Amino acid sequence: MTDAVFTSHGAPDAAPLPANPVAGRVRIEGEVKQALETGRNRLIVTGALFALAFTAISARLFDVTLIGRGAEPRVATAPRLGALETFRADITDRNGVLLATSLETASLYANARQVPDAADAAGKLAGVLGGDQADLAAKLGSGKSFVWIRRNLTPRQQYEVNRLGIPGLDFQRDERRVYPLGNIAAHIVGFTDIDNKGLAGIERRFDEQLRGAQHPVKLALDVRVQHVLRAELESAMRDFSAVGAAGMVLDARTGEILSMVSLPDFDPHRPGAVDPDARFNRPTLGVYEMGSTFKLFTLALGLDSGVATLNSTWDATYPIHISRFTIKDYRGGERRWLSTSEVLQYSSNIGAARMGVAAGPARQRDFMKRMGMLDTPRIELPETGQPMFPTNWREINTMTISFGHGLAVSPLQLANGVAALVNGGVLRPATLLKRDPSDIPPGTQVIKPETSKVMRGLMRMVVEKGTGKKANIPGYRVGGKTGTAEKVSAHGGYARKALLSSFVGAFPIDDPRYVVLAMLDEPHGTRQTGGFATGGAVAAPTIGKIVARIGPLLAVDPVDLPPRPAQPLLNARAQGKSVAAN
Amino acid sequence: MATRRARGLNPVSLTFVDKAWRLNWPLVVLLSAVAAVGVVMLYSAGGGSLQPWSSRHAMRFMLCVGLMLALAFVDLRVWLRLAYPAYALGFVLLVAVDVAGMVGMGAQRWLDIGPIQIQPSEIMKIALVLALARYFHGITAEETGRILYVVPPTLMVLLPVGLVAQQPDLGTAVLMLAAGGAMFFVAGVRLWKFAAVFAAIGAAMPVLWGMMREYQRNRVLTFIDPERDPLGAGYHILQSKIAMGSGGMFGKGFLEGSQSHLNFLPEKQTDFIFTMLAEEFGMVGCLALLGLYSLIIVIAIAIALRSQSLFGRMVAMGVAAIFFLYVFINVAMVTGLIPVVGIPLPLVSYGGTAMLSVMIGMGMLMGVDIHRDMRLGRHGEALTS
Repeated sequence: MTDAVFTSHGAPDAAPLPANPVAGRVRIEGEVKQALETGRNRLIVTGALFALAFTAISARLFDVTLIGRGAEPRVATAPRLGALETFRADITDRNGVLLATSLETASLYANARQVPDAADAAGKLAGVLGGDQADLAAKLGSGKSFVWIRRNLTPRQQYEVNRLGIPGLDFQRDERRVYPLGNIAAHIVGFTDIDNKGLAGIERRFDEQLRGAQHPVKLALDVRVQHVLRAELESAMRDFSAVGAAGMVLDARTGEILSMVSLPDFDPHRPGAVDPDARFNRPTLGVYEMGSTFKLFTLALGLDSGVATLNSTWDATYPIHISRFTIKDYRGGERRWLSTSEVLQYSSNIGAARMGVAAGPARQRDFMKRMGMLDTPRIELPETGQPMFPTNWREINTMTISFGHGLAVSPLQLANGVAALVNGGVLRPATLLKRDPSDIPPGTQVIKPETSKVMRGLMRMVVEKGTGKKANIPGYRVGGKTGTAEKVSAHGGYARKALLSSFVGAFPIDDPRYVVLAMLDEPHGTRQTGGFATGGAVAAPTIGKIVARIGPLLAVDPVDLPPRPAQPLLNARAQGKSVAAN
Repeated sequence: MATRRARGLNPVSLTFVDKAWRLNWPLVVLLSAVAAVGVVMLYSAGGGSLQPWSSRHAMRFMLCVGLMLALAFVDLRVWLRLAYPAYALGFVLLVAVDVAGMVGMGAQRWLDIGPIQIQPSEIMKIALVLALARYFHGITAEETGRILYVVPPTLMVLLPVGLVAQQPDLGTAVLMLAAGGAMFFVAGVRLWKFAAVFAAIGAAMPVLWGMMREYQRNRVLTFIDPERDPLGAGYHILQSKIAMGSGGMFGKGFLEGSQSHLNFLPEKQTDFIFTMLAEEFGMVGCLALLGLYSLIIVIAIAIALRSQSLFGRMVAMGVAAIFFLYVFINVAMVTGLIPVVGIPLPLVSYGGTAMLSVMIGMGMLMGVDIHRDMRLGRHGEALTS
């Protein structure tokens, strides 16, 4: 390459003195060589970088095709929706089952001024939405700038209305309260108006909280128990042609209401569609003279105050005549002296009256006050009834109150009082809200624990040998008391044929967990009950059926079960043999 | 020199036959093989049909091969003389398309000239390589080391990059910037200058972020977290990864790519064709194609190494860098290594303009190979031995 002819262009360093052309050539030669050398090295480096980059993407390919399976998430996540803060919070049962929730809907309104042809539009709309065409035409032709056409359209209806393409119609985002389980807890959950304002029940009582909150209101209710109670009361109502029924299941240890039923009931989506009586919540709003079930309190008062012992005897030989009243026993009674337990066992009005008088009006009044029978119960429902009791508590009042007349309380008060009688003597306010097991209110001691123990024994006796035999079922030791009150007639006085038959009890009676109450309004005897419509004939068997079904649901251990017959099929399976081979 | 004489070739006055003998046939074969992969994949993308893409792709490639071979015979001195005028033309067209874009409101990458559409950024890629090669060829190694002499080529790169980024065509801008950088590196620009540039880019990031369009920002954010918006901006890349992952080692088989054929995969015939390859032929197919590309790049670098002129070397290197960047950016994009930028896979993706510019570059590369022994003076005059 020595013969290359280079001029010194472009190389200022080389320019100064090309005196020796050969020396200049050599220098330039060296420079070019150096440049090419640098270039060669850098080319190789660049190539190496390219190779590195290709290795990187190859590794990535390996990762994407074989190992990583891309970035596809293992679990698909829905796009995060904005919090629906305007939505009314849900109401659930104690296990989180939805009782009330809100759905987003669209409501149709019109700017009547922009509707070109009201009659035509009304015709089309009526075809989609149904309803009265003339009414629609009136709204669309009203000339108002805002008029509701229909609230809470279904998505399909909204689609169809959009398809009509009528000018002047528009939708507003709306929400609709939905009760997935319908009637089942209608009286407790309540309902709202079309603007989602709570009108009854929990919806009304917690209206403010439900509006703002994101967390559901959790009730103490257990829908499974609620279903059983409702179903059994419904069938009893049918069997005995009763006009109504009420029932409760109360946790004797915490005061939580697991179930509360009032029949007839209603569809909370259409509360206006039924007779107002159906919206009446008997267990809390109704106050009744409970009848014989109240004798439990008379005995508890007697035993706790010491005026009665299990060995005391009470003269029930003749009816008591006092003022213009006569206190008699049912069908004449035993007509002899009765022991304390026999008063309960035979449900003797005379014996109970004598025991009440022995305690005295003042003590009875105090006791009833302590048991919460004289105050409106503090329950989380706006619909609560005020108890009725005599302002002037005289001896005659004491006598009638002793067997459950002359004092009217709500079934809730009765059940809650019985809970205190059987749970060791502690009265806790009943609640519809779920209680934290670690935060159960201590309650107040209303009777001695020993008295409570005796009461449990007496209640069991009623079911084993007394008027409540039909509540006796295998597996769950039920204790309780029947009651048959005569309803106050419209004409004053008591109506012989209009009864309020009830049973209040607890199970398992040796260490009660639940208080159950069933009440039938104006039941009629059937051939099976021998024509009787008393608490023992109609309410006690209902309680038996209810306990038999809810006991297993609530995980109450059965006791006293008859020994099981051998089950060869199961044994065969356990031994691994096929059923066919057996 | 003895060897050269022995071959009996005068590098300055090669005859047509001499040049024909020197044609780099292995390169032609490799390019054809890659294009054949394209034809096959486009056949699949068309739902097992030559229409609408496959046959046209094959036809275009044949035309381009003819063009490439013709360009291979063009003397290096002609390229050198054309370098600056070509750059000027490309620049004017880029400005024109920018103005047209402003008028037309929105992204404008095409220029309609009568019946044909031209994409100035494609012309610019070639022109930039030529212009940079000419510039570095025209200065000495010592000057290359001086900062003052680095300013003009830096502007030569940054001006068109800025215009292209403005269009906005981020992918092409990045590609041109990187190719320019590679050529700077090969020319011998001091390493600390690269470090300075990287630092400057790092500092400019926030400013760039502010200048980005909303959809570009989305792409970057989506790149960082594709699940941010699985149905929107992240859709492409998620679907791409799902399709690739479903291919596994050997793929589902030709025409069996359900993700692609059921149109889960967007742009399957253009930018995302590599994903389809991955789905139907698996990792093995992908690596085979990458192997073909690697061989082409190796040949290009070998040509650059053999070239006796700096201009030839720089041109070869520029073409190699652009080709490499096409492949790298595309594959990195569809595998989710980098954000989605619209860069096709050379010779496989459907699209005439990109193929044309790649094949023109390849023609120049082959020309460099043919004229590898030609030594050029600083102003493009042939130096005879």
